[in-house]
This record gives sequence, C-alpha cells and structure tokens, in this order.
Amino acid sequence: MSEMDVIEKQPVTLRVNGNVHELEIAPARTLLDVLRSELRLTGAKRSCNQGVCGACSVLRDGKPVRACISLAFAAEDSEITTIEGLADGNRLSRVQQAFVDAGAVQCGFCMPAMVIAATALLNENPNPGVEEIRHGLGGNICRCSGYVKVVDAILSLTEGSKS
Amino acid sequence: MRYLAPGSLKEALDILRREDDARCIAGGATLVAMMNADLVAVDVLVGLGRIAELSGITETDDEVRIGAMTRHAEIAASPVLTGALGVVRSAAGQIAHPAVRNMGTIGGSICHADPAADFPAALLAADATIEAASAEGTRQIPIGEFFEDYFETALREGEIVTAIRLPRGPAGARGHHVKFSRVDGDYATVSVSAVLVMAGATCSYARIALGSSGPVPIRVTAAEEALVGSPLDQAAIAEAARLLAEAADPVDDVRGTTEYRLMLIPRLLARALNTLKDGETASV
Ligand SMILES: Cc1cc2nc3c(=O)[nH]c(=O)nc-3n(C[C@H](O)[C@H](O)[C@H](O)COP(=O)(O)OP(=O)(O)OC[C@H]3O[C@@H](n4cnc5c(N)ncnc54)[C@H](O)[C@@H]3O)c2cc1C
Ligand code: FES
Ligand code: FES
Repeated sequence: MSEMDVIEKQPVTLRVNGNVHELEIAPARTLLDVLRSELRLTGAKRSCNQGVCGACSVLRDGKPVRACISLAFAAEDSEITTIEGLADGNRLSRVQQAFVDAGAVQCGFCMPAMVIAATALLNENPNPGVEEIRHGLGGNICRCSGYVKVVDAILSLTEGSKS
Repeated sequence: MRYLAPGSLKEALDILRREDDARCIAGGATLVAMMNADLVAVDVLVGLGRIAELSGITETDDEVRIGAMTRHAEIAASPVLTGALGVVRSAAGQIAHPAVRNMGTIGGSICHADPAADFPAALLAADATIEAASAEGTRQIPIGEFFEDYFETALREGEIVTAIRLPRGPAGARGHHVKFSRVDGDYATVSVSAVLVMAGATCSYARIALGSSGPVPIRVTAAEEALVGSPLDQAAIAEAARLLAEAADPVDDVRGTTEYRLMLIPRLLARALNTLKDGETASV
C-alpha cells in the first residue's frame, strides 16, 4: 500500500439490507458508488450523479434519499435499504408485484428507484390519491416516460381501488 | 481527503481552527453534487451529522429556534411553525422533492446562498437572525446582513451556523411562500415570501421578500408601506409590485429571462397576498 492509500482510505461501517459491512474506502466516495462497486448492489442506478433524476434512490432509515449525493461516511449511523432488500427471497414485495401486474416497467432503468419512492410513500401514507402519488414520485424521472402505469400500480395498492 | 465526524460543536470548531482546508458538510446534497462535478476539492470534510445540539426545532414564548442541521422535511411538517412563521414552513415544503427534503438542511441551504433557493427570501420575510459560532465565540447576524452576493455570505472562516432564530412576529400574523417553477420540484424562477396582518379588511402589517430576483433576497420597505393601510386592493398591490420589481435584478438564464421574471413579480405577489388575506394559512 502506498502512502497515498494510507492517507486516503478510512474504515467505515455500513448497514445495508440488514447486513453489516466493514469497509476501507476513500472518504469522498458516494454511497451510490460504494453500494454498486464494493457491495455489488447494482439496483440503484447512476445517471445524473447530481441528485436530479432520482435513479439512485435508496431508503435511509425508511426515507428516500439520493445515494449519488450522499457520502458513504455520512450513512454510517443509518440503516440503508436498497431495492435488493425489498423482496423476501424470490417473493417480490407487494409494491414490486403491483408494478409487474400493472405493466409499469419498460426498459426498467428507473424502476428500482420508482419502487423505492413508492414504498416510502405508501409507508407514510397508505392511501395516497393520484396527486399525492405524483408529488411523491415527482423526483423520479422515467426516460421511457411511462408514468401512467406507475401511478396505476401504486393506486392498485390503495383502499380506493379495492372498494 | 479525510472525513471527520465530531460529536460536539466544540470539537467541530476546534477542527475548523486547526485544519487549513476544512469544510463542513451538512446534508451534502449540494456539496457532494459539486464534488461529483469536480467543482470543489476539499482536504478535510467535517460531517455535522453527529452533533445533536445542531438538530431540531425548539420554542420559547418569544421565538422559535431551528437548529442548522434540521432537514427540510422536518421543517415542512413542524406544528410549531405557525402564524408569521408559516412562511418558513411553506417554503420548506416547496423545496425540490421528498428525497431532497429528507437530505438538505436549513443551515446548508443558507450557507450555500444560492439566490434561487427558497429559504433566503422566507427567512428575510420572517425577520430571522442567524446564529454563528466559532472557536472565539458566538455571534448573531441579522438576516438582512447575512446574504452578501451570489453564493456569498457574511460567514467568516472557521464559523459554523448553529441555528436560525425566528421571532414570533406580530399578533395575528400569517405567512406564506409562493414559488413559480418550470416543473414541480425545480428551483424557483421567482418566489415571493410574505407575512401579513389584517385588521378587519385593512392590512396593518406587511413584510415581503423576493427570491430568485437578484444576487440576494430583496426587501423594499416602501413597497410594504404601500400595502399597510390599504385593503390590499389591486392598486396597492400593483404599486408594491412596481417598487419591488424596480429593486429586482434577476438573471437571464435557463429558468427564465429577466423580462419574464419581472413579469412574474406582480402576479406572484398578488397570489401570496390574496392567499393570506383570505385567511388561509400556509397550506404547503
Ligand atoms: C436536485 C436538487 C434540487 C433542489 N431544489 C431546491 C429548491 O427547489 N429550492 C431550494 O431552496 N433548494 C433546492 N435544493 C438545495 C437543497 O435543498 C439544500 O438546501 C442544499 O442541498 C444545501 O443543503 P445541504 O444540507 O445539502 O448542504 P451541504 O451540501 O452539506 O452544504 C452546502 C454548503 O454549506 C456549507 N455548510 C453546510 N452547513 C453549514 C453550517 N451549519 N455552517 C457553515 N457552513 C455550512 C458547506 O460547507 C457547503 O459549502 C436542491 C438540491 C438538489 C440536489
Ligand atoms: S443519479 Fe442520483 S439523482 Fe440522478
Ligand atoms: S422504464 Fe425506462 S426509464 Fe423508466
């Protein structure tokens, strides 16, 4: 190890999807970079790397944040959940299943983050209306522009759709 | 680069005094985006997240105190920010999207001093005081002196913003923030923050600030005087808007031309005042 490496890397402990990871990383690295490159959790996508598009969204203590503009070190005291942490083995979460059933997925690039945002929205408000769904997912851009079925998928999980 | 996460304010201030090129990181939403774009390079990052005394909203009879590390989402949901202080709550709820509101902090927002941000105008309308600490001690900066230019504040090297202090405002006051943006969640093309008291049908107090209308948020006392004593009729609002637009110096950029922004000022002012006049408190 060169002297640079010694100076640049610091130990960090991350809790992701219920697992504890002890890593040595350069402090400037983002949570997204560490999730994807070190932990091989590639569900969160990198697109703008500026916090704008939403593709990298993960849950920090149950709330959606942008992993691309979060430092891995700043996540040390939190519980991180990525899209990989939502399913129970091969059984999809109810939100994932609703997206499949509604045919909401086109190319799929934005979908992990859409599901993360929808999961957080439904945790906070189990019965959102169309407007609330649009606001809840307003920060998630879909370049296939398939928003209608995303809203349908989430609506299918609300009380209103069952009555 | 090193990352340090002090557990107390004193420790953080010691680091800032000791290290040559140290910089605070709050929510990181702006700083990390700038690092990703290679716009800043830092030797030492001082994470403020573990300093409990910097977080949360507390109140006394006279004022509400928002810790610098309080996130937008918490401010937007605070039951304490009522009356005049509804202007701050309403601004917080209109910043970006849920994920950014779960990250960004009020201290980070004002220290970055982006003229397109929502808090600067809202805090000017609320007559806030910024509390800043350094290894030498603590000082109070009136909001009118805090923003100096595009991305420039009165903060000195080695200082950390610890809290934003908000006076309760006059009895019966209500506050509201109105923002026009190209799409939901974007920075404002123009924003108007207003705090108002109505005595029957007559306006008895007004404090108005414009955002995204120049290098710093803009307040014009003559415009407020044009509103006080009036029933907030079209003529009074038009005169106040004229005075505000005269003082505005908006940029010409991707969010709108200078001319377009100047046209927005009277419209957004009317929207803000009518919302408050009709007795609605901040709904967002
Ligand atoms: C996609 C996106 C959309 C956004 N949209 C809006 C919007 O519509 N309206 C709006 O108002 N804002 C918007 N923002 C800005 C955002 O809400 C935050 O205000 C901003 O990121 C700064 O807060 P932070 O806590 O992330 O600060 P950081 O990025 O951590 O820090 C910003 C700067 O402030 C300094 N700093 C931070 N805290 C302190 C302190 N306590 N004392 C001294 N210095 C300090 C840091 O050193 C750094 O220079 C947006 C941001 C993003 C990424
Ligand atoms: S990659 Fe994080 S918001 Fe676009
Ligand atoms: S499904 Fe292709 S980007 Fe959304």
